[in-house]
Amino acid sequence: MNPITPIINGMKITLKHMFMKPVTLQYPTERPKVAKRFRGLHALNVSHDKAKCVACYLCPTVCPAKCITVEAAEDANHDKYASVYEIDMLRCIFCGYCVEACPVDAVKMTEEFELANYNRKDFIYSKERLLVK
Amino acid sequence: MVNLTIDDKQVTAPKSATIYEAAKMNGIKIPILCHDKKLKPFGACRMCLVEVEQMKGRQIPACTTPATEGMIIRTSTPDIVKARKMVLELLLLNHPLDCPVCDKSGDCDLQNLTYEYQVNSNRFTDEKFNHEIDYNNPLIERDMNRCVLCGKCARICDEIVSYGALTFIDRGIETKIGCEFDDGLNCEFCGSCIAVCPVGSLLARPFKHKARFWAMTKHPTVCGYCGTGCNLTLGVKDNKVLTTIYDEDQGFHKGQLCVRGRFGYQFINSTERLTTPLIKKNGRLIEATWDEALELVAARLSGGAAVAALATPRLTNEELTLFKKLLVENVGTNNFDHAAGYAHTAITEGFARSFGAKASSASILDIQKSDMLLVIKTDAYETHPVVGFEINMGVKNKGIKLTILSDKRGKLSKLPDATTLVHRPGSEVAILNAIAKTLIDDNLVAGSAATIAGYAELEKALAAFTADVVAAQCGISAADIKKLASEYAAAEKALIVFPVGQAYSGHTAELATALANLAILTGKYDKEGCGVLCLSEKNNSQGAIDMGFFAQDGGLNGVEILDACAKGTVKSLFIAGENPLTSYPNHTKVKAALEAVEFLVVSELFLTETAAMADVVLPVCSFAEKDGTFTSTDRRVQYFKSAIRKNVQIKSDYEIFSNLVTRLGGTVAPTPALLFTEIAANTPGYQGLSHVSLRKEGAFAAVATTPKFVIPQADAPFTVEVGKLALVTGSALYHNGTLSQYGEGPMHVCPENYIELSRTDASLYKISEGDVVTVSSASGSLQLKAKVTPRMPAGVVFSPYHFTAAPINTIWNGSPVTSVTVSK
Repeated sequence: MNPITPIINGMKITLKHMFMKPVTLQYPTERPKVAKRFRGLHALNVSHDKAKCVACYLCPTVCPAKCITVEAAEDANHDKYASVYEIDMLRCIFCGYCVEACPVDAVKMTEEFELANYNRKDFIYSKERLLVK
Repeated sequence: MVNLTIDDKQVTAPKSATIYEAAKMNGIKIPILCHDKKLKPFGACRMCLVEVEQMKGRQIPACTTPATEGMIIRTSTPDIVKARKMVLELLLLNHPLDCPVCDKSGDCDLQNLTYEYQVNSNRFTDEKFNHEIDYNNPLIERDMNRCVLCGKCARICDEIVSYGALTFIDRGIETKIGCEFDDGLNCEFCGSCIAVCPVGSLLARPFKHKARFWAMTKHPTVCGYCGTGCNLTLGVKDNKVLTTIYDEDQGFHKGQLCVRGRFGYQFINSTERLTTPLIKKNGRLIEATWDEALELVAARLSGGAAVAALATPRLTNEELTLFKKLLVENVGTNNFDHAAGYAHTAITEGFARSFGAKASSASILDIQKSDMLLVIKTDAYETHPVVGFEINMGVKNKGIKLTILSDKRGKLSKLPDATTLVHRPGSEVAILNAIAKTLIDDNLVAGSAATIAGYAELEKALAAFTADVVAAQCGISAADIKKLASEYAAAEKALIVFPVGQAYSGHTAELATALANLAILTGKYDKEGCGVLCLSEKNNSQGAIDMGFFAQDGGLNGVEILDACAKGTVKSLFIAGENPLTSYPNHTKVKAALEAVEFLVVSELFLTETAAMADVVLPVCSFAEKDGTFTSTDRRVQYFKSAIRKNVQIKSDYEIFSNLVTRLGGTVAPTPALLFTEIAANTPGYQGLSHVSLRKEGAFAAVATTPKFVIPQADAPFTVEVGKLALVTGSALYHNGTLSQYGEGPMHVCPENYIELSRTDASLYKISEGDVVTVSSASGSLQLKAKVTPRMPAGVVFSPYHFTAAPINTIWNGSPVTSVTVSK
């Protein structure tokens, strides 16, 4: 084969891309479009001003990374609720099993992906931080 | 044995077995909801339906049908599976599907079966129950909406616990489990109903929402309260003991527990536990390092006979042996005693001289094998509830004759056909002597009795104890004494049971001797279902005796040690786990002694009032944090392993004693297991035992008896001063020693000391239930809450000893009966 042909073919692609819309995103000024099914930061669903979570312990049980800590307690109406609900984002592998296991649709995964922080302890998301605002 | 075929498998089973039991024995699983192996067959749930070929393919319940010769059984044909699915559908029709919030989830029979039979939908529709949930009870939560009406709770409460708190109420579709008049639950709180409930209808409230069943590790261990030696399983998560778990295969008692065993575990993880050694400086206890504390203790221990020690029999056999070695070999003193070893003279002196062995000649297993039980004091149920369950089952299921000789009536008196002879307090020995005299006079003694040493002397010494004379003094009739003697002699097998303990000061060597004489006279010992069973108080009281940790060879006993402290002859006192300020007689004297002693070191779990007086306090491990062996009241040696890791700041008693031995120049076995091999070699009956051999199951240490008649000295009959009442002391059902004060369960049910008095006295002194009354004796006075009960005879009052807040020893100085005045 003529040694020049592959070079010309390569340059064609290069030239074509010079006139195409760039794939590079000018993050953070430009934001990516996140799919609905994206598994980002967790959130605790709220119903009647209360977290829906009933502290059944299924999410910490199913969690392969063992990153969820739940402690149950009894409220004034003798209902079970999670007095502690913590997720250690440094350990979380975003598999979404917790969402799948939840029998009361209390935990979901949001489109939030910017989880960087300065301190290790800031990666431990407490119940207050996880509640849907 | 019968031969039958189950699922094409040829099997054999005992004649008494049901189809369910026959299948289980041969490894074939039949699903069940309403059956427990301790209970009688009931057949309520219809889950265990099987087909028997001979019955023309009809479906019959396996749990109520006896297995017969040649039966051909199928346990899982498509028809049966269909029927079982239907049963589950019908149960799930009313059962709320609240598994996420139900604590039973994970351990729930209904949930497991639903999963196994894949009942995913329901063909029927109906409303769910709407019963009110009982959240008020501190220990047992009842949610009858979840109930499947298997009746296990009602049956265990009736058949084994014999309380009958729960029962079926209403009829038809309105049937539910409830208490009398559908009221709140007010029972003994043993929690047996919680243990057997197959769903989440009955739950332990102290454990509510603490953890899921599958998240806990289960640690089998031995209960650390009374001497029965029950086995229990601790549920542990994150190094915390969260609950006790029922295991129907555990121990002689098949997982049955009392309120203390089941609900009294919270002391293990209490935040009040001591975590660092304390040294008294300028009158205040200051935190110190272990080195400082042990250096100071070691320096003060080298004083020979001026050093004394008191140890609780809650320590392990290994720790007690090591403590004794430290005291005898390294310190050079014989002044040591275990928790009121003086209270166990029934064994150390009584049995020693009558049977030639410092142990009971019978075991708890003999109770159900006997024909007649003679129980001294109804408190035998209260001191050892699980032994009480054995008595209940024996009397109710096997028709064992029960006679109780007591100064008050009690739970055991309520058993069917039980005879209770209520005598004046303090006259037990005289009555027993009169029975012995009757046996001899009426020629009811065994043929071999006359050849046993001491027979002639006994016969002579008993001359004064004719039934008529004794009856006049003791408040029971001569006819009753004679009847009891003839019944005891006539029974083929008869067992005598009596409790001892720190508050049973009348239960001495004399009582043990008098009881032993009856057994020896009639030849009822050393045989199955016969003998004398002394119920020792704490979990390792018998172990402490076996290890020789009690006053002997001229050493001072518990009470004498305190006297010597007051006199100044004992200068250093080492108290390992004891709380004499509450549990020893005569508060003033004990306090004076502890103040007088120059150096007091206390090793304890908590800063008790005794520990607060110490110069050095050493924090130690509870039974859940160490390894060792306990010996139960009938000499069952049981090994237990630590369930949780100990706090790094605390040490076990074993580590403390071995450290002190080393500091004083001795050598010591590095681990309890190695020390136990030495113990096994040197202790009669323990030969061949080791930690490894005991790992699976405890073993009985043999007791060799050589009978001899000894003359028991009966005290002069106690007469109450005019206008006063006779106070008898003892144990409350919900407590054991002073440790149970740190268990939430016992403290929920019985939080404070009380005085029980009869209705007659209550109306005489115009006292009603719950009134705070002042009880005064010659030695002091105390404010106690009044409890008016029908069980007390007129003129007698009862109070337990466990409570630090109102210690009964302020008015009780160790005598079996005390004259007191009670006023509002």
